[in-house]
Amino acid sequence: MGKPKVAFYWCASCGGCEEAVVDLAEDILKVVEAVDIVFWPVALDFKKSDVEAMDDGEIALTFINGAVRTDEQREMVELLRRKSGLVVAFGSCAHLGGIPGLANFYDRKGIFERAYLTTPSTDNPAGVFPSKTSQVDGEELTLPGFWNTVHPLDQVIDVDYYLPGCAPPADLIMDAVNAVLSGQLPGKGAVLAPSKTLCDTCPRSDTKPEKISIEKLKRPHLTEMDPDKCFLEYGVICLGIATRSGCGERCINANMPCRGCFGPVDGVKDHGVRSLSAIASLLELPDEENATEEDILAALGPIADPAGLFYMYSLPSSLLRRSR
Amino acid sequence: MADKPKVVVFCCNWSVYPGLQLTRLDPSLRSDEIEPIVTMCSGRLNPELVIEAFRNGAWGVMVTGCPPEECDHDGNYNARRRMTLLRRALGQLGIEGERLAMGWYSAGESAKLAKAATEFRDRISQLGPLAEVPEMA
Repeated sequence: MGKPKVAFYWCASCGGCEEAVVDLAEDILKVVEAVDIVFWPVALDFKKSDVEAMDDGEIALTFINGAVRTDEQREMVELLRRKSGLVVAFGSCAHLGGIPGLANFYDRKGIFERAYLTTPSTDNPAGVFPSKTSQVDGEELTLPGFWNTVHPLDQVIDVDYYLPGCAPPADLIMDAVNAVLSGQLPGKGAVLAPSKTLCDTCPRSDTKPEKISIEKLKRPHLTEMDPDKCFLEYGVICLGIATRSGCGERCINANMPCRGCFGPVDGVKDHGVRSLSAIASLLELPDEENATEEDILAALGPIADPAGLFYMYSLPSSLLRRSR
Repeated sequence: MADKPKVVVFCCNWSVYPGLQLTRLDPSLRSDEIEPIVTMCSGRLNPELVIEAFRNGAWGVMVTGCPPEECDHDGNYNARRRMTLLRRALGQLGIEGERLAMGWYSAGESAKLAKAATEFRDRISQLGPLAEVPEMA
């Protein structure tokens, strides 16, 4: 029997997830030994027609990174879904919508106007916008349709598992590959990472006070902090209290508070609003009973962009999905 | 989308909710347009539920808590901070701040709450339903 076939694909993403596969370093050789990589546009010269020629379900496992927002992306993920036994949403964008999902604060019209008309470096006197078809020298040229809304992968196709992270760390990727090879997979729909919050595994948790109470929130670049102490103790927002662990605390170890790329723990529907709730709960105004809404807003002052902060990685997968 | 307003009012089980149930026995205050939902304390109200209400067609959501110093758990302060921040976030997502109201009501003030909820519904009726967002577009 031949080796199991594995495919990688990318949609609306930055390329960091592809880099994460390369970051497996020598381990990638173990992967290549155990499986046949049959499709990987960033690295190997297989074509869409090669995938189309395969039997349905022939690919054992497909990793898809990036959010979905064009007709072409939908066509490709639907094709890969048909040809694959298992599909893993790889990385924050496929899992939750990710950074590209912040485009859901806008719509197609607003994005096109900004990108093709009003940016200072744009010179477009004829007001030309991308369109699905256009005529050039008697030939018809086509572009994939651009959607109003960015979607995480599971809003477009059925997804078997999720590998969280921006980008997923090497150990979780290897664990996922090994789980598939050994057939020891958890139930369908599982996120292949621990279901604890980052606070539980944070190297700074020893210094986290029993009860955190913050009088006024502060911004990290304006706050002098001991690099071993909990960010929240200083009033600096860290989303580790509401975010899944498993990232290897890469940001924390680089002295940056968590911004939530691993998404929520099991059972939470809306990571953004859960994070918002957790942070608001930690505030304690000096004269709470007489506080006015203005006092609360002043204490929350450094949160200039609450929706952007709390939904940084998860707006398309949130309960509201996008702005109205 | 329904053409009649629907507002959800979250009320504390230990203060205003029992009285509100009695108030609603008065036929003049009975309304399909105002739905009280009991919580164990305004501080136990997960803001996810506020968003669920909007997602499921509510035109407005009212969160009620006990007045300052009347909540045994300081849950009212927690709820106020959460709703203040949530209102700002909702505004960024195109949901007008007026659609999320917060007010203080004591155990004996269910009639006052019933009146406030009715006025809230009337204000929200002017705004109409939330804009619909297609599943896939």
